[in-house]
Amino acid sequence: MSAALQLEGVVKRYGRFEAVKGLSFAVQPGTICGFLGPNGAGKTSTLRMILGLTEPTEGRISVLGAPDGRMVRDRIGFLPEERGLYRKMTPVDTVAFFAGLKGVPLGEGRRRAKKLLESQGLGASMKKPMKALSKGMAQKVQLMAAIAHEPELVILDEPFSGLDPVNQQGLEQVIRDLANRGATVLFSTHVMQHAERLCRQVVLLANGKKVFEGSIQAARGAAPRFLELEGALTPEDVAGLPGVVGVESIAREGLEPGVMLHQASLGLNAQPQEALKTAFARGLDLRRFEVKEPTLHDAFIVLTGGER
Amino acid sequence: MRRLLLIARREYFAYAKTVGFWLSLLVLPAFMAIGAMIPTMMDRAAPVRTIAFVDLTGQDKAAGLKAALDGRWRREQVRALRSAALAEAGPNGGDAVRDAAEKAGPEAGQEALGRLAPGAARAYKPPKRNLLVVEPPPELAGARDPDAAGRLLSPYVAGDKTLTGGRKLDAAVVLWMQGGELKTRVWSQSVSDEGVQDAVREALEETVRRDRLIAAGVSPEAVEALEQVRPQIEVYSPKAASGGEVGFRDRLPGIMGFALGMLLWSSIVSGASILMNSVIEEKSNRVLEVLLSSASTTEILAGKVLGVAGITLTVLGAWGGLGAFLLYNAFPGIAHDLVSVLTENGLAFYLGLYLIGGYLMYAVLFAAIGAFCETPREAQTLLGPVMIVLAIPIVVMNVAIRTPDMPILKILSWVPFFTPFLMTARAPTEPPLVEIIGTLAAMAVTAWIMVWLASKAFRAGALSTAKLDWKSVLAMVGGKR
Repeated sequence: MSAALQLEGVVKRYGRFEAVKGLSFAVQPGTICGFLGPNGAGKTSTLRMILGLTEPTEGRISVLGAPDGRMVRDRIGFLPEERGLYRKMTPVDTVAFFAGLKGVPLGEGRRRAKKLLESQGLGASMKKPMKALSKGMAQKVQLMAAIAHEPELVILDEPFSGLDPVNQQGLEQVIRDLANRGATVLFSTHVMQHAERLCRQVVLLANGKKVFEGSIQAARGAAPRFLELEGALTPEDVAGLPGVVGVESIAREGLEPGVMLHQASLGLNAQPQEALKTAFARGLDLRRFEVKEPTLHDAFIVLTGGER
Repeated sequence: MRRLLLIARREYFAYAKTVGFWLSLLVLPAFMAIGAMIPTMMDRAAPVRTIAFVDLTGQDKAAGLKAALDGRWRREQVRALRSAALAEAGPNGGDAVRDAAEKAGPEAGQEALGRLAPGAARAYKPPKRNLLVVEPPPELAGARDPDAAGRLLSPYVAGDKTLTGGRKLDAAVVLWMQGGELKTRVWSQSVSDEGVQDAVREALEETVRRDRLIAAGVSPEAVEALEQVRPQIEVYSPKAASGGEVGFRDRLPGIMGFALGMLLWSSIVSGASILMNSVIEEKSNRVLEVLLSSASTTEILAGKVLGVAGITLTVLGAWGGLGAFLLYNAFPGIAHDLVSVLTENGLAFYLGLYLIGGYLMYAVLFAAIGAFCETPREAQTLLGPVMIVLAIPIVVMNVAIRTPDMPILKILSWVPFFTPFLMTARAPTEPPLVEIIGTLAAMAVTAWIMVWLASKAFRAGALSTAKLDWKSVLAMVGGKR
């Protein structure tokens, strides 16, 4: 099956500044792909090139089989990072208007708008002007406007920003539903928990360069695992265990006098059980031993070189 | 095309649904109606002022002044009759009504008005005489000098005393001779009312002139004849519609050209400004990026231009329709002349093309400027040079009404940014066909280049957040930012 989205050696320069440096990745149809990176990594520039809003300086982009996003814009849904709608329009008219731009007849657009807005709990507000809606509600309306035409590729730029936890959960469900329907979803974020819960694939960007592409599992593997050790131990005791490459000692309230919590980072191929065995063999006063798997957040920090 | 029409529709209704649109639609006709009615209303509402002459000259100089005031009143009536006839019967008809009134009195003038401009005659109401000459209080008969007369007049003018029959005295004129000169002192109820003074001054000038001419040996009949002299100038031109004498119909194209040029200018500037504000609103509301992901720059620009053009045409159509209705009913002669000027030699067609070309050039320019701005204040920075350019045709159009063939006007007509206004102003006076076709072609090419450039600028501006000045705008359009 050919990729829904494919970038090959894409470069974007603004004058002398290189915002995107030789970026290549592919997203398969029906996949939810997280496009991750710190602020200024080049995410928005890349998304704009995919959409055809700006042209790449070098490289090639294929979107739903077309060499330019503009050629298939009716099959794409887009939620920009900086959101905004016509303040005097009602949510129904807004959704129907943007669906109309994507080829949905106005009557059908209004019908879909009502259905979508009701499903998002906006039934009571669908005829109020947008300016009367809360920020969260307006954001939901904009998302509905981006997907009302049932696009094959949905591009969401920081879709979770500004939403409360309940609405974030609702948005996660919308994204899952889109993928279940067969749509390909590419969303940028720097909140790793959402990507961790939603994505089958992530692409990590730092300073305009791709630093990782693959599954969540593989991304986590790029970061070291941690050991949490609690006991009457000195940092030197912990540093002397096999596989330990760094120790951070943490004072915590409620611990017995002389007992400390140490967080030890392991080398990439280190085995935690070797450290445990050695601790027992050395007769260390160990009260608690726990292996902590790295999160995507940890992987993000490592892969982006500590940039946030 | 579907997207373009959808954007145009949204743009149109976004304005058509606002209170401001309906207000602006109604305000101009309302102001014009009020403006037209105010002078008449003020004239009718003005109180009738009573004035008395206290003649201490012993030569009955008051009689001459009273006669001069009567003459002034007659001239006012003649002027009103001529003005009433002018719109329906044209300048020649107006002159005929004036001549009839001057020769045989206002009644004859009204009769001529009924004959030459029946519509105007039905609506005609003679002006009200605001100055009524009354006899002075009887005790003034004993006054021997102006100061004594003043002392006696003061309580009357102040309103403490009234004339016989309870009538108030608003002003009094004391006349006396001093060193052979006629002297005048006006007592007036109000210190700021100069109406009486002006009327007395005019009457006095006429009387003194007349007296001096008679004193110099000119017969009273000759003086009377002299007062009536009005040089008649007949203007002839081979270009006149009649083939000879130039009439109002011949002057109409020049007047219309100027009026249409101004209308075009204001329509283009207001339409382009509406468009720019709309783009600024979309930019500041962050709608432009979503629009750009849903439609091409050309579709967005064209849709917006079309939508705002619809608004402009709705306003012009409503005003034009109302104006035409009123004109046809009140002054069918002028309406007929206007239509014939517009339809002759395809003028309406050229005007349409100039309107389209001019609107397109400026609308896309204003839209592109709007795409770089988040507030109208930011837009002012970029609009300054554009407005200077736009001010030039306004100055030049004033010249076009008198001398449409002036060389500088011909040269400036070839500058595409001025073409729509200057050629509209000149078109009714039939400039050479080569100029019409040439300027239209140059304007069309420029409009096409403007649309192309504005599309690039619009896209660059819509996606930019850079600091705003012409240098950064040009850099963005060139893809360097």
